[in-house]
Amino acid sequence: MIEFRNVSFSYEKDTPVLQDLSFRIDAGESVGLIGANGAGKSTLMKLLLGLLQGQGEILVDGLAVSKATLPEIRRRLGFVLQNSDHQMFMPTVYEDMIFAPLNYGVSREETEQRVDAVLEQLGLTALKHRHNHKISGGEKRMAAIATVLAMEPEVILMDEPTSALDPYNRRIVINTICSLSQTRLIASHDLDMILDTCDRVILLSQGRIAADGPAREILRDRALLEAHRMELPFCLAGRE
Amino acid sequence: MNKSEQALSALAEMDELAARQSPIHRLHPIAKLLVTIAYIFTVVSFGKYQLSGLAVMALYPVLLFQLSGIPARTCFHKLRIVLPLVMAVGLFNPFFDRSPLLYLGTVPVSGGVISMLSLMVKGVLCLTASFLLIAATPIDSLCAALRRLHVPSLLVTLLLLTYRYVGVMTEEVSIMTDAYRLRAPGQKGIHISAWGSFLGQLLLRSMDRAQELYASMLLRGYHGHFHYAAVNPFRPADGAYLVCCIAVFALLRFVNVAELLGRLLVR
Amino acid sequence: MHMADALLAPAVAATMYAASGVTAGISIHKLRKDDEPQKLPTMAVTAALVFAGQMINYTIPGTGSSGHMCGGMLLSALLGPQAGFLSMIVILAIQCLFFADGGLLALGANVWNMAFYGCFVGYYLIWRPIQTGRWFGSGKSAQRARIIAASIIGCIVTLQLGAFSVVLETSLSGITELPFGAFCALMQPIHLAIGLVEGLITSAVLLFVYESRPQLLRDVDPAPGAAKRSLKSTIAVLAVLVLVVGGGLSLLASSNPDGLEWALFGNEDAGYSQNMGLDEEDYGVSSDAADKAGSIQEATAFLPDYAFADNDTPVGTTVSGIVGSVMVAGVAVLICLAGGFFRKRKTAAG
Repeated sequence: MIEFRNVSFSYEKDTPVLQDLSFRIDAGESVGLIGANGAGKSTLMKLLLGLLQGQGEILVDGLAVSKATLPEIRRRLGFVLQNSDHQMFMPTVYEDMIFAPLNYGVSREETEQRVDAVLEQLGLTALKHRHNHKISGGEKRMAAIATVLAMEPEVILMDEPTSALDPYNRRIVINTICSLSQTRLIASHDLDMILDTCDRVILLSQGRIAADGPAREILRDRALLEAHRMELPFCLAGRE
Repeated sequence: MNKSEQALSALAEMDELAARQSPIHRLHPIAKLLVTIAYIFTVVSFGKYQLSGLAVMALYPVLLFQLSGIPARTCFHKLRIVLPLVMAVGLFNPFFDRSPLLYLGTVPVSGGVISMLSLMVKGVLCLTASFLLIAATPIDSLCAALRRLHVPSLLVTLLLLTYRYVGVMTEEVSIMTDAYRLRAPGQKGIHISAWGSFLGQLLLRSMDRAQELYASMLLRGYHGHFHYAAVNPFRPADGAYLVCCIAVFALLRFVNVAELLGRLLVR
Repeated sequence: MHMADALLAPAVAATMYAASGVTAGISIHKLRKDDEPQKLPTMAVTAALVFAGQMINYTIPGTGSSGHMCGGMLLSALLGPQAGFLSMIVILAIQCLFFADGGLLALGANVWNMAFYGCFVGYYLIWRPIQTGRWFGSGKSAQRARIIAASIIGCIVTLQLGAFSVVLETSLSGITELPFGAFCALMQPIHLAIGLVEGLITSAVLLFVYESRPQLLRDVDPAPGAAKRSLKSTIAVLAVLVLVVGGGLSLLASSNPDGLEWALFGNEDAGYSQNMGLDEEDYGVSSDAADKAGSIQEATAFLPDYAFADNDTPVGTTVSGIVGSVMVAGVAVLICLAGGFFRKRKTAAG
């Protein structure tokens, strides 16, 4: 589904952000992307989305990410931004949800059906005609996920989906992520959430893959995590 | 509450009013927009001594307030912003235009007083009309109406996006103002040493924000077009409202109803 | 400086709408041709920022008061004149629609007074010539000086033009009896002070941007080197200086407003030489002066009161007019009562 082949990237010369990354994610997998601040998580996502260009090859569904394939690639990828205010730029939730399907040439009727179906699936029907600047942080995050789902992407990328949410809303988001069937790549510092939502974890450190394996193994490995400026998830840390 | 917070609550208040339901809210946005413009045009076109003609025009906002259930109190609260300038300009009229126009009993009333009063009445009526328009029409329907009236899409989209981010940025300014005040007790505003960095910081962050916003548009297939929510069709009732209002305004402009009514009683 | 609808005659308002509309059309055309799709979100966010920035109070050192900024110069230095102009339109529209600041009909005039001068005059005649003209030499400190000079001169000049337009539009609308000169004498000095403060704030913000991310500023060389001063920009800056000096002189003239009036409208046959300065105690009160002012008003307003220039009993100012108005008020009260009654019934039923 997604394949990175020897991908490197640097914003400035001699300070590489990502170095020689290679991995693949298969269809239906749910992968957590973890690492300390500045490890390169966001850069990796931006490369995949074609917002940045680096060296090496990135394949989505067998298609190499390049200027020519961008429309095709982006249509398959749904990206939930960390700041929902950046994601939701239209006045109402509904208008934000129809933005992408109509841009991709889906008919008005089908768009309407998709919007209603997604809202129903996420239990957000009441939000449909609400104004984006008047809904709460938790609602906004859920609405942002709904906007992306209305695109019917094959892969969903999320950047810190649980940041700044209270426990209740965080739980709702986690349950929503678990209920999705698409391929998922989730970048976060919320390791408990990663443990709940992902089967596999890729640990980035200083632009390289420090570990790649089952979530339950990597997230239990205190020595590995601490070596890369991370800590055990709270639920596994136990009480001192 | 600091100034930005006041602005935020004013915005929220307008949104809340526009989301209500009433016969006026249900009217087509194009009809409402055109009627409002016609009304303001009519009011402003009254001569400076035609106070009683203007008085009849006041029935329109009164009727609309009643039909829409929008509280007039909110509106009058807003008048404080722009009325001072109108007042300042009008206040000189009584000094310059002193020829008596009519006598109330034996007290002469000069043309300047009449023109000052009519200027103030005009100010209140015009503002009330635009207030009623926006209080009964959500911004997205208004933008859709502007598109239908062939206002360039670039401008309409810009209005829509800016409106969306006015809330976000104002909130940020509000937080920064509070943070500044907490560390600068007794200062009325931003000290000169921070003049540049206060807004400058915010500006740099907004540029990054714009980048991210553009990315989020691109990732959802943006290629130069914005799609708006479909607007309800223009019903015959909307057309009737539009035609009737404009006809009545024209009538009131040329026939002084107050004068006629008065003549029934006074000879 | 936001004008209200009531201060404008329909013809003046329509003229200003047309002028602003044409400028907006040209700007949109230019932006479409440039085809920079990422410009739209940048414009929206910057406009929102300027809107929010207008709510910041800046303490003016040495005084107890505080200043604000309005943002035309700032926007054109960051986005360029066309994009800046459109962003200002949107800001003014939101202010007029949601905050009752300005008016729907006066929007055209407000756009002209604040956005056109701030963006186009401010950019083409002040910002760009000063930046590209290599004034004050080369190097970083010269660049800083250019930014400060352009911001301050720009804000002062554009605000003076804006204030003058307000006076002109109001007078042409025949709204005020205040003589043109006296009105100028009121508005221009106030806006000189406002412009200076706004210029200082704008230069502070732009300097900050220059230090941290110079590539955001228009026509500013991120890495200044030596270059020749071009003739074109020298002429432009000279023109601006003439404008500033001219503005100053007109201020002097406006302390003797009749002089300005006379100069502008060539009223020599009236032999109009009475001083109407604001400092005089009997300012505008003596009936002689009032009559003269009235005649000036007649002569200057090119939209005289349409219907009632010399009517004996103008319609609407008779006793029956008053009685009629009272009856209208009665109708209004009835409408309110009926409205309340129906709503109550509805809530009772629901």
